[in-house]
Amino acid sequence: MKYTTFNQQSTNPLLEPMFFGNPVNVARYDQQKHAIFEKLIEKQISFFWRPEEVDVTRDRVDFQKLTEPEKHIFISNLKYQTLLDSVQGRSPNIAFLPIISLPELETWVETWSFYETIHSRSYTHILRNLFSDPSEIFDDIVVNDEIKRRAADISKYYDDLIFATQLWQTQGEGVHTVDGIAHTISMYELKKKLYLCMNSVNALEAIRFYVSFACTFAFAERKLMEGNSKIIRLIARDENLHLSSTQHVLNLWAKGKDDPEMAQIAEECKDEARAIFMNAVEQEKEWADYLFQNGSMIGLNKEILCSYVEYIANQRMTAIGFDAPFDVSSNPLPWMNNYLNSDNVQVAPQESEISSYLVGQIDSAVSEEDFADFEL
Amino acid sequence: MLRIDIVDVGQINAPADKTLLSAIEAAGINIHYHCREGFCGACRTKLLEGEVEYTTDPLAFIDDDEILPCCCVAKQPLKIKVPL
Repeated sequence: MKYTTFNQQSTNPLLEPMFFGNPVNVARYDQQKHAIFEKLIEKQISFFWRPEEVDVTRDRVDFQKLTEPEKHIFISNLKYQTLLDSVQGRSPNIAFLPIISLPELETWVETWSFYETIHSRSYTHILRNLFSDPSEIFDDIVVNDEIKRRAADISKYYDDLIFATQLWQTQGEGVHTVDGIAHTISMYELKKKLYLCMNSVNALEAIRFYVSFACTFAFAERKLMEGNSKIIRLIARDENLHLSSTQHVLNLWAKGKDDPEMAQIAEECKDEARAIFMNAVEQEKEWADYLFQNGSMIGLNKEILCSYVEYIANQRMTAIGFDAPFDVSSNPLPWMNNYLNSDNVQVAPQESEISSYLVGQIDSAVSEEDFADFEL
Repeated sequence: MLRIDIVDVGQINAPADKTLLSAIEAAGINIHYHCREGFCGACRTKLLEGEVEYTTDPLAFIDDDEILPCCCVAKQPLKIKVPL
């Protein structure tokens, strides 16, 4: 079915499925089929923040005090997070918007993606402060094998769905040959790709960020890189909300509260969906191995981090109807909770230094001439 | 005060003016939490017996037999299984 930016047919969005129904026409939020998405939008907008509000200037001094293994941990995590948010800042828009049929879900996806772009901007804010030229860090993201391996796994489900949707929207159902390869496009196959993609995104939001978060907060526990930690707390709060949304989508499908065919697919692809999650867990453990390859940092090592990954994996897998696969009965990093508590992340002007308030009030530029009349 | 039976942990008394999560913590039991506002689902708890009342509308996904202790209060004596 051809995509249209304003569907001229009268549709009743209260009867449409979340995906693969009629394209949305009127962006109206007075009535909702799934009210949860409207509530998530409101909550997300109430979280609005700008990276520039957080003063990261002290981090530059702290960074110089870190050991080489600690610098590797810090910078590698920033690279990985930059990759994750580069993908998440565009992919939900490109993959999901063309096939969404509910106005509240459409706007939720746009709102979600917009926040991921704020996260991307904040990594630039952090890196610009640490390095006079952060290009070397950004350039490494597309050549670093450890990061590339993860990028391939994260983007493949999105790319698969996007390509199949493009074929369907331009050619319709049937077998289409592109560059000598035959692609069978049917609604059932499209929905299957959507289901697997949503599971991959859910695993990303549920697991992939947390190794980096743990390292950041472990630095903050030692009063190091606190500007960075403040930003990551804001990011973690947003990611928790994004995770709620993918959990809702998956559960609405699985419980037959949306498209009945999706309930059937959820049952049929259960093992594949579980494997996507388990694969993300394995990759995060390998990432922990890479982070600590040159040495640990105080308060954190590979074993604790891997057991934390298993702990949250248990939680997040049971939230979407899987059994808890790992034998971790209590939280190995209980101090993480403090950093993820939303009461502790609010940036109020009177409680923190906000660098943008200082702009124009003090002149921090120092040129060589300024020392001209000094004599030693 | 209402009696809360926490599976595998023990029994506590919950005051009516505190969220269930705060009441559990006040009794010296540390359970998993993140947002404390009902949107993340980290404190998702199985409700085996009793009824709760939400002080904030929960945004996180919870199943029919689950509650979010961070944003509810006990209305009756409860039996629950918490994430430790």
